[in-house]
Amino acid sequence: MKISLTAFAGLFFLFIYAPLIVIVVYSFNSNPVNMLVWDGFTLDWYKGLFGIGERTLDPNQRAVYLESTPQLIAALKNSLTVAAVTTLFSTLVGTATALAVTRYRFRGRTVYTGGMMLPMMMPDIVLGVGLLIFFSTIGMQLSLLTIIIGQCTFLTSYVFIVVQARLAGLDPALEEASADLGANEWTTFRKVTLPQLAFIISMDDLVITYFISGTGSQTLPTFIFSMVRRGVKPEINAIATLIILASIIIAALGLWLNARASRK
Amino acid sequence: MPDLLTIAAARRAFTTPEGKTFQALDGIDLTVGDGEFVTLLGPSGCGKTTLLRAIAGFEQIDSGSITLDGRDLTRLAPHQRPVNTVFQSYALFPHMTVARNVGYALEVRGMARSDRERWVADALDKVGLGDLGTRKPSQLSGGQRQRVALARAIVAEPRLLLLDEPLSALDRNLRQAMQIELKDLQHRLGIAFVFVTHDQEEALTMSDRIVVMRSGRIEQAGAPRDIFRRPATRFVAEFIGETNLFAGRVQNGTLVTDAGQRIDLPAGTPEGLATAVLRPTDFALGTSGIPGRVTRAVYLGADLHLHVAPDSGGPDIGVVARDAANAPRNGDRVTLAYDPASVHVMAGVA
Amino acid sequence: MTPRTRGHLALLLSPVTLFLSVFFLGPLIIIAVYSVLTPGLYGGVEWSFYHWNFGRIFGWADGLVEVFEPVYLQILLRSLGLAFLTVIICLILCYPVAFWIARLPQRARIVFLFLITLPFFASLIVRLYAWLLILKPSGLLGTVFNAVGLEAPEILYTQTAVILGMVYIFIPFMFLPLFSSVDTLDRSLIEASADLGAKPWQTFVKVIVPQTLPGIAGGSVIVFIPAVGNFIVPDVLGGAQGLMIGNMVEQQFLSSRNWPFGSALAMVIMAVVLAALMLFTARACKAGAAR
Repeated sequence: MKISLTAFAGLFFLFIYAPLIVIVVYSFNSNPVNMLVWDGFTLDWYKGLFGIGERTLDPNQRAVYLESTPQLIAALKNSLTVAAVTTLFSTLVGTATALAVTRYRFRGRTVYTGGMMLPMMMPDIVLGVGLLIFFSTIGMQLSLLTIIIGQCTFLTSYVFIVVQARLAGLDPALEEASADLGANEWTTFRKVTLPQLAFIISMDDLVITYFISGTGSQTLPTFIFSMVRRGVKPEINAIATLIILASIIIAALGLWLNARASRK
Repeated sequence: MPDLLTIAAARRAFTTPEGKTFQALDGIDLTVGDGEFVTLLGPSGCGKTTLLRAIAGFEQIDSGSITLDGRDLTRLAPHQRPVNTVFQSYALFPHMTVARNVGYALEVRGMARSDRERWVADALDKVGLGDLGTRKPSQLSGGQRQRVALARAIVAEPRLLLLDEPLSALDRNLRQAMQIELKDLQHRLGIAFVFVTHDQEEALTMSDRIVVMRSGRIEQAGAPRDIFRRPATRFVAEFIGETNLFAGRVQNGTLVTDAGQRIDLPAGTPEGLATAVLRPTDFALGTSGIPGRVTRAVYLGADLHLHVAPDSGGPDIGVVARDAANAPRNGDRVTLAYDPASVHVMAGVA
Repeated sequence: MTPRTRGHLALLLSPVTLFLSVFFLGPLIIIAVYSVLTPGLYGGVEWSFYHWNFGRIFGWADGLVEVFEPVYLQILLRSLGLAFLTVIICLILCYPVAFWIARLPQRARIVFLFLITLPFFASLIVRLYAWLLILKPSGLLGTVFNAVGLEAPEILYTQTAVILGMVYIFIPFMFLPLFSSVDTLDRSLIEASADLGAKPWQTFVKVIVPQTLPGIAGGSVIVFIPAVGNFIVPDVLGGAQGLMIGNMVEQQFLSSRNWPFGSALAMVIMAVVLAALMLFTARACKAGAAR
């Protein structure tokens, strides 16, 4: 019984991690036709990403590089800009709302506690198309601004839910930031964990952004989505590997900071 | 009383998180008679709860055997063992009504609903909770939950009931009332009880037999009176009730401690190293006996608890005396009289 | 309430109130309005009431301008079915693992919990893409099967692939609520059940499942909501066979440019999600009252 449970858990983790490992391994495979038949180690796909590849003019068209490295860079820039602004806005507004409903008893409080759940619970496709119609009706051009507004609606709700749950389990005295252990953890949560979560969710948002990003305002997920739609290419492996690596580093960093704060 | 439960040479070791091995049961031999009330008594970590859990089947023993009514239980899973347990936390199922909790043992063995209702009502009556069947456990008081746990454990009429400190969560008054009630119930049902507690008073009140445990072993087993009056070891003497121990050498029917205190012993006590046991109630304030000075007098209502420093030196002697107008106070000189014939001697114990 | 705290409260609440009533309620209202407007020629909209958007989906279309197309109902049912199966499979995968992790020593628990949430941080589209790599005919699965001389099963562009993809990306959503429920499960209840003679499966059905129901229900809702309206997974892995209602919405908005009809479809998704939420809250209230 116990052994079979452990075996099951082993398979579970294999299921979770195998696909990611496949991407990473094959991002170094030089076989461009059948990516999963190993043909030797190469960094060409990474070079291609940054526009320093040499195989762009391969006569057999074996290596198909990104049409445009600048597009990728622009998408990354857009993503970072959107994530930065969205994180700032949603953590401030969401935390303020959570503080209001945990600190004060007032009429209409349940409207807030219940209503703030809605944007999180709304299927993102509904919110996405709703925003699309809304912006077009009021005559607002799709741009980075519309993406930021769209993401802020559900991220504010997300921040509210997380902070409220956290505050509910916290001593009210700690808001005064008395310099004890709990205050330290709370500060880390507010300044590290929360922004980190919001940032990652914003960076990863595809559905809402997909509907309300204009032609010039692609983000990294929508850019990769359009690449994936056009078929599997070795460069995607390289981008994907870089994204996986970046995510793991960010997540591990956050965890480390958290652990350090709670140990203090 | 014919034997119901027999435990032979049971051993169980645990590994602590630090990687050390800890022998929770270190060779336990124990029999429980049909309808007997046996209490496992000892400080925390002595193995009493492990032993109970081993009988229930929650812990497997590494070696040895457990037999119930001639049937070997040693390797059976808990649900295959015809014993039931009253848990310390009661472990009532929060999502079920009281009636469904009580009827659970019948439900899982497929008894028809109509029969079940009758048995449940019967069990609830026995614990005095006839009309609470439709409530949820969260709507009950601590004492009521305790009774539900009891009803649930007896509903299927097990031969043996295991009770893991069932009264420890109750307040003092309720606990004392429940002690009597539980003993009474056990008598009426005729089920053997194995009762775990660290409360010696509880053990003395309720048990037919007390098994004192220490570090995974049985230190002494016997009737409450024997355990109290005739402890076999220093540990038992000190664990059960307050006691005065005088360790020394016996010569000519008198024990002499290192401090020079002399205690007269029953006639015919063999010579050599020994420890004499005198309970605080064994002393009376008299004219001949152990002279000393009261260092502390604690008022207990009807009684007065005195700490007396004997003139010969050595540790204070605890004495219980009736409170009266002329009762001694701090600093008063007293003489502690006792009956040499009633002094219990642990021969060979120093 | 003193004027000062009143001012404080207003300061804390006005940004969110302003922002969400414009940019959250606004879109919701407008999508509801759009769903009953007349689609104009060339992708526009005419501001007149029109109920045949829903008629087209549910079968009371006039038969002239709008025709009842059972395909939408079929796809809606398929979406419900796929989302439901995704929930069930996530549950089956996560439940035993939650138990396994709950029984580990503290340090190991933290490590494995971290390992489960870690992929959640890697981009969703990247994780889906990984399955495209594995499932495509010349992909890992095909390569492995060919290597041992077998025909690879065709999974890509089927409903199986959609379920696989959704299970993969939604596993953390199911796991975390489930784990918190399993972790707080009182072990003595399991012992009590066994002690009273319940066989292991009886203990599971009668005690463990009801006791972890909040986690099961919470995880199920959190997986069901994004699954039922999903269009990314069927887009990448599903092909024509695996289309879901979300794809229909996307089509209406970005290629057919029939926004009123797309809005009607989106309203249907919202109705399904609301129904699921209400079912969940009703159960939660009942369970809450029982506690």
